Amino acid sequence: MGSKIADWLDERLGWRSVWEAIFLRKIPKVNWLFTLGSATLFVAVNQAITGILLTLYYVPTPDHAYNSVQYITNEVAAGWLIRGLHHWGASAMVVLTVLHMLRVIFLGTYKYPREITWFTGVFLLIIVIGFGFTGYLLPWDQKAYWATTVGTKIASVTPGIGDWILRVMRGGPELSAVTLARFFGVHVWVLPSALMALSGLHLYLVIKIGISEMPGKDD
Amino acid sequence: MNEKEKKDYLAGYKKAKEKGVHFYPDILFKDAVVSLLIFILLAALAYFLGAPLEERANPSDTNYTPKPEWYFLFLFQLLKYFPGELEVIGVIVIPTLAIIFLFLLPVLDRSAKRHYSSRPWIIGITSVLGIGIIFLSIQSIRETPPPAEAGLGDPIAALYAENCASCHGPMITVPEGTNLHLIITQGSHEGGMPAWSGDLTNNEIDALAGFVLSPRGHELFNSNCGECHETAELVSSSPIELKAALNLGSEYPAHSELDIPNWDEVLSAQNRTSLLNFLVAPDGQRLFAINCSACHGRSVAYTGEEAELESLISQGGLHLEMPPWQEKLSSDDLDALARYVSSTDASAEDAELFSQLCSSCHGTLIPQMNDFDLARDKIATGGAHETMPVWGEVLTSEQLDALVSYTMDASEGTPLEVGRDIFSKNCALCHGDFGEGGVNPARPDDVIAPISSAEYLKTRDDHTLFQIIAQGQPNFGMSPFGSAFGGPLDDDQINTIITYMRSWEANPPVEYPPEMTLPDNVDLSGVEIFETLCSQCHRPDGSGIGPVLSDPDFQKNNTDQEIFNTISKGHPNSSMIAWSQILTDDQILQLVKILRNLNNDGSEAGTSGPASFANDVRPLFEEHCTICHGQMGGWNADTSENVINTGNNAPSVIPGDAKNSLLAQKMLGTQSSGGIMPPAGLLAEDQVRIILDWITAGAPDN
Repeated sequence: MGSKIADWLDERLGWRSVWEAIFLRKIPKVNWLFTLGSATLFVAVNQAITGILLTLYYVPTPDHAYNSVQYITNEVAAGWLIRGLHHWGASAMVVLTVLHMLRVIFLGTYKYPREITWFTGVFLLIIVIGFGFTGYLLPWDQKAYWATTVGTKIASVTPGIGDWILRVMRGGPELSAVTLARFFGVHVWVLPSALMALSGLHLYLVIKIGISEMPGKDD
Repeated sequence: MNEKEKKDYLAGYKKAKEKGVHFYPDILFKDAVVSLLIFILLAALAYFLGAPLEERANPSDTNYTPKPEWYFLFLFQLLKYFPGELEVIGVIVIPTLAIIFLFLLPVLDRSAKRHYSSRPWIIGITSVLGIGIIFLSIQSIRETPPPAEAGLGDPIAALYAENCASCHGPMITVPEGTNLHLIITQGSHEGGMPAWSGDLTNNEIDALAGFVLSPRGHELFNSNCGECHETAELVSSSPIELKAALNLGSEYPAHSELDIPNWDEVLSAQNRTSLLNFLVAPDGQRLFAINCSACHGRSVAYTGEEAELESLISQGGLHLEMPPWQEKLSSDDLDALARYVSSTDASAEDAELFSQLCSSCHGTLIPQMNDFDLARDKIATGGAHETMPVWGEVLTSEQLDALVSYTMDASEGTPLEVGRDIFSKNCALCHGDFGEGGVNPARPDDVIAPISSAEYLKTRDDHTLFQIIAQGQPNFGMSPFGSAFGGPLDDDQINTIITYMRSWEANPPVEYPPEMTLPDNVDLSGVEIFETLCSQCHRPDGSGIGPVLSDPDFQKNNTDQEIFNTISKGHPNSSMIAWSQILTDDQILQLVKILRNLNNDGSEAGTSGPASFANDVRPLFEEHCTICHGQMGGWNADTSENVINTGNNAPSVIPGDAKNSLLAQKMLGTQSSGGIMPPAGLLAEDQVRIILDWITAGAPDN
């Protein structure tokens, strides 16, 4: 019965070839360091899921942001866990991305034919940092407010367009409700879209080209 | 990498793949194990440490030391090594280069070699970057303020090292004309500089300002004066006195018995200027407060040219161009002019007269006077500044510049008053006089939140406030106020209201209740509680935020029980919290008693003993009178005898007869000749009463 359904579906979806291409492909013998990439993907999925759950309760206005975060932490069922996973997941994301990148540099994996994979990877690192920076403001507590005040101020040092950058980031000369709305929008719409598009390409290339083998002493 | 190398690589990779394993299940299993471990780790962190949440963001709390998330710490630390102009290197150049290096890695390293031992450069640079980032992060975490490099016995340098050096390094240079006292007092949101007014005294802040603005003066002070004088006792003393001491050298009375050299022989003119700049920092606001406010009040209305003001101040008493108009004008004309400058509803003829006679010197400026008689007197006798010291001879040019630019700025303060007026007519009914809010008159169940809190003002820009005022908030029962929406106010008036509201930001009239914890075992008395806690908002005399506690109406309309309940349960519409959580019933009962006593207006407390000349009366004279009389003489307040017998119209005091004493008359405005004293306006009632009581008691020397 099971195989009949599988056959019926395969005739229509062609899933077997996809399954073979992705899951049954051959991989050179590699060590545990090569799990860093998929670990990063796992944490990214964790961030997406917990992030979506957080937006169900979070309100991105200065009047309510802090209260809603308190509510999530103290009142919502398992809210502490969702927020905790998202908070620590952010740090894990940075750590894993950087370790993954160091592994790639150390083993020379960015070389032919995987240059494009590397380029998308660097963009993904910048996106992860952007997530960290925008997400920091959202709880609207003292740390969030002042670190963002200083952080945006630092960006304004850029020669020539510094002041413009500051105004764009803050949505005005001062940190305000506009800044919070802006950071929220970037954190939940702009960066996730970019992350999905780029990590899609990244994964496609990883599967298509295959992950590199451990280089021998002569390679 | 050439074509052959590419082919070789692909071939080698194909072989490696054939020898390898399937993604599913071998590799996927490893991935799943690692992912599961990571998830367990994250869940454990969430369970044991939780996600931190600090206090709600408070834009007015500049004491907070911002610290970014740990993965930005290295960048934060990097900035410390690139102060000032170099900042751009730490912020932009280095990070951009690092990103570009990363990005171009496959282009920079195109050899076929993959093993790390064949790529020392790339591995090297990456390691340096990585170790650098780790080092900077660790450094940032453990970095403590640098040790104070204070010279022994140099309290100002110590003050600097303790409070400023950790951020500003060994020395700050500020542009000329910086209002340093204000900056130190209020701090700076942008730079994360805290407001020091809570931690340092006014004198300490002055000393720091002088230290930064005139380091040379600080050195000179230490080597020449430090042996006898502590800085704090001299900073911000009257510049007239300091200048006299410097010029007279051993002739200066207080120095006469000491072996003091003549300063003009020891110190060059430039050094004397530095020294003066250190002792009296060229800070307009402070200079005005110390030197001018005794006569001129909070600010002087002035609309002329800056250069003109400068010459006016520096000439001081020499500025006598204004003729005594009583020789030329009839009594009626004098009345008309005085009316014009002292009241707002003067007639067109008055204005005509003013423009004919006065505007050639005064321009469009109307010298603001609140008192008609005083104005008339001024116009009649002319020579508006005959009692003013010749500041040009006293102040250094830096000090003079600072004073002039402050006076210019301060005289532009009028929109505030207009704004307050419009606010109180249009907004205060619902929002309260201080924007503190209260019960919504349009909807009795609703409470209007404060609009003067730092948080409210910080989170709304001018445009938003304008929209709210102009269009109203129909959902909350606020009708539109803009004329474009059928309201009474035009755009300028709305902007003036916003200006007024912004003035709250510097000094918010509504604060959220201060965080207070009283140790359980300390049993504070009612008086102590009132002085330390209640008076923070209500002021010591009960006139602060909320109802005026000493007001007879308030006292009449509230029973003891009602007052008790309000204290114990708090007030739902305001920031008054339920004190029963902190205070015992007994303590609240004591507070009720204290509130009842506020109504007695201090008449009992004030007469607790006869006023003492040394303790009560002379300090008042010193504060309000000697600033002018000490220099220009006429009357001397040193001893009770001098108070009675000196002065151009001596005796100034008739012991036992306050009513006929000239001194008392001038303080009450009932004098037969001359103007009131002090010229800036009468003293507070209780201060006048102390002096009157002292005269009535026979002007004793006690």
